Amino acid sequence: MMPWLSFSNPILRRELLDRLRSWKTMAAIFVVALVSCLLVLLRWPTDATVDVVSQGATLVFRPLAFALTLAVMMLVPAFPATSLVGERRKGTLALLLNSPLSAWQIYFGKLVSNVILALVLISVSLPAIGACFAMGGISLVDHVGPLLLVLLAMAIQYSAVGLWISVRATSTDASLRSTYVAILVLAVLSVGPLVLTGTLSGIQATLAQWLTAVSPVSALQQITSSQAAVADLGIRTGWFEFVIASGLITGILAIVTVRKLDPILLDRPRPTGRVTGPRSSLVRRLNYLVDPEKRKSIIPWWLNPIMVKEFRTRKFGRLHWLLRLIAVCAIVSLLLTVVAATGTISWGVERIAGPLVLMQISLMLLVGPSLGANIIAAEVESGGWQLLRVAPVSPLRILSGKLMSVVWTMLLVLLATLPGYLVMSYIQPALGGQVGNVVVSLLLAVAMVVSISACVSAFCKTTAVATATSYGILLSLFAGTLLIWLARGRPFGPVFVERALVFNPAALALSEMQSPGFEQYNLTPMGWWVSGGVSLVCLLILSVRTWRLTCPD
Amino acid sequence: MASSSAPVVVTENLCKSYGDFPALSDLTIHVERGQILGFIGPNGAGKTTTIKILVGLSRPTSGTATIAGVNCSENAARIKHLVGYMPDRFGSYDNMRVREYLDFFGAVFSIPGAQRRKRIDEVLDVTNATYMQDKFVESLSHGMQQRVGIARTLLHDPEVLILDEPANGLDPSARIEMREILLRLASEGKTLIVTSHILPELSRICDSVAIVTGGRLQAFGKLDDVMRELCPVRSYEVQLVREDQLELAERILNNVLPDAKVTLSRPERMLRFPTADTEESLALLLSGLINGGVQVAQFREVVGDLEDAFLSVAADRPAVAS
Repeated sequence: MMPWLSFSNPILRRELLDRLRSWKTMAAIFVVALVSCLLVLLRWPTDATVDVVSQGATLVFRPLAFALTLAVMMLVPAFPATSLVGERRKGTLALLLNSPLSAWQIYFGKLVSNVILALVLISVSLPAIGACFAMGGISLVDHVGPLLLVLLAMAIQYSAVGLWISVRATSTDASLRSTYVAILVLAVLSVGPLVLTGTLSGIQATLAQWLTAVSPVSALQQITSSQAAVADLGIRTGWFEFVIASGLITGILAIVTVRKLDPILLDRPRPTGRVTGPRSSLVRRLNYLVDPEKRKSIIPWWLNPIMVKEFRTRKFGRLHWLLRLIAVCAIVSLLLTVVAATGTISWGVERIAGPLVLMQISLMLLVGPSLGANIIAAEVESGGWQLLRVAPVSPLRILSGKLMSVVWTMLLVLLATLPGYLVMSYIQPALGGQVGNVVVSLLLAVAMVVSISACVSAFCKTTAVATATSYGILLSLFAGTLLIWLARGRPFGPVFVERALVFNPAALALSEMQSPGFEQYNLTPMGWWVSGGVSLVCLLILSVRTWRLTCPD
Repeated sequence: MASSSAPVVVTENLCKSYGDFPALSDLTIHVERGQILGFIGPNGAGKTTTIKILVGLSRPTSGTATIAGVNCSENAARIKHLVGYMPDRFGSYDNMRVREYLDFFGAVFSIPGAQRRKRIDEVLDVTNATYMQDKFVESLSHGMQQRVGIARTLLHDPEVLILDEPANGLDPSARIEMREILLRLASEGKTLIVTSHILPELSRICDSVAIVTGGRLQAFGKLDDVMRELCPVRSYEVQLVREDQLELAERILNNVLPDAKVTLSRPERMLRFPTADTEESLALLLSGLINGGVQVAQFREVVGDLEDAFLSVAADRPAVAS
């Protein structure tokens, strides 16, 4: 066996031991086992017969496959995303790079250990998959085997993505954030061009098709025998193409990451702290509008200094970056308006509104937890919380400053995506009321995302843990309830599905727009009360916790 | 140093327990205005616990702590204005320049805009940190961060500065610079409580010291008094002009201080001896040498090291908490 792959690789052994000793790994394995077992138990036949042509097993197998995919997407990248950057910040990467270990040994030690743990995670669902197989209607060659291959390919690919980002990142939370963004782009948004632009031809069509091979969505649809839905979207790739694409991406990322694993990685100059004079050049002024190297004026009395600090300490929170963000949002907004206008005319509101809502929710889920999970945990981790505690500033002021810094950013993202709805209501004026309800649902989604992630942040000591936990909870809430919806009919009845969906503001918006599959549910105003209630409870817990954290020990 | 007799920091029978664990027991100290108190103890001795009580981050189990007459646990809001606290961790923020960092804390302390700008210039000047005002705080060296940390504690012009390990990890030149900054602050009337593991450094700046081990105060007072109390046997050196008078000097010394063990160093023309005798006996010795015709070039005490005093306490009295 190649030395960098053997179990004698010290990195592999250390990483495995470290992870297996962690209660978080055990908790993740337990949750996956529990969910997969529950899914099967709910559908287990009571008449003790095996039906080789029944749809029953498929109905259980489909949500199980999607649940496992979601688990791999959520749990597998978290560790590699923080691994190399964490080692660098702790100073242990320098020790590794100065050891006789080669870059490939370091890389494979980390990658393989993570893949082994992913295999453990997948293997705990084998009894559930076996039960589906025993029910009949599921084949090893067409269903079980390809599913396991896809999950393994995902685990390897997402571990490689995490390590690739981790080697470049400067902080663990930024690395975690970027990794989840990359995975969302790979898994979901890669299907976007084909779905949103309709029927393409020539090279564009080929490229869009290949892009869909990057996403496990088409592979899973093929495995779970939902080819009608795939064909409806115009996707012609399957699990085999996904495995090939995954292998290619993993190989490329491995080479690029190993090339970066060099002592020169640690040889970074300190920022010089250059400032431009009061008369900066015309080119700079035109380029930046707000010169980032110009000395900032003092924080005015009417602004909450905590909020200003939060914006200033974010790389993209500086005024020149905010202006760029506004510009990007405006462009996205224009594009969405065009897509909404053309889509509404050619496909109908119901068809175009669904992807729009999902895109907005995806953006919120990407931006929200990474900002919200930082607010207290980052302060505690950096030691700044101690300084705030000895300053004459009330917990309410701290909290409001921090929350407002997140809310303003989220509203900016939300506002940029709203004109699409205005176009829809212009084309179909009768939709005015529904659009209003969708906006309310989206605002409540913002409230939920911010309050839950901020609440998590108040209980964590490191930003990496807070960010990963927030993503986990919110993805479970938003995607988990959609999994239940996916298994509507059998095993979950309409009442149960409706009750689950009221916890998901995305489902509220989708049902308001009468998107396919959501027409029969009447989720508002109950869903609004639930979302509002959850947000309020989280804010209350957050307030009490913040107050406790500022109190003397 | 501009010290006056009014105690600014007072703790009386201060106790703090975490469950059954006594982190601090009956700590009674007082620090006068303009004085520098060196707070010494091994790791886990209770130094940080005391500091946390003083800055209002922790409540004592019993006893009281006051700063300028204000109870630390009952009036935390007032204490925040009276005390400037520099913890052992810097508390850095990403993407923030030094000036912005100080501006943020100035705003948190509600210092009005124009005054804040002026104050930032002043504190940067006091800590010799003006040249780094545009640098990013996370990119500063440890020594630079310590200076910015002190600048931050000075922003709201507190009466008392509490600095946890300010010289920790500094190179010799940065340490000297830090020492000068602290002495300058004391001369301006600030009261300082400084903890450090670098005891020779502390002994150069402190007016008084408090030594704690296992949560108990082992010694407290003026530096000289503590040294005398903890190291009663002091060493003296007598240097002569002529080498041939060494034996004569030794005879006189043995007559006056019969218990002293004398060692001779001919190349240096020096007699060395440790003694626990009083200063009257030493005066008698000096007059005896001169009256006996010995030509004395120097008669001096070899100043004891704070480290020796600390080690004698740490070795003699095992930690209560352990």
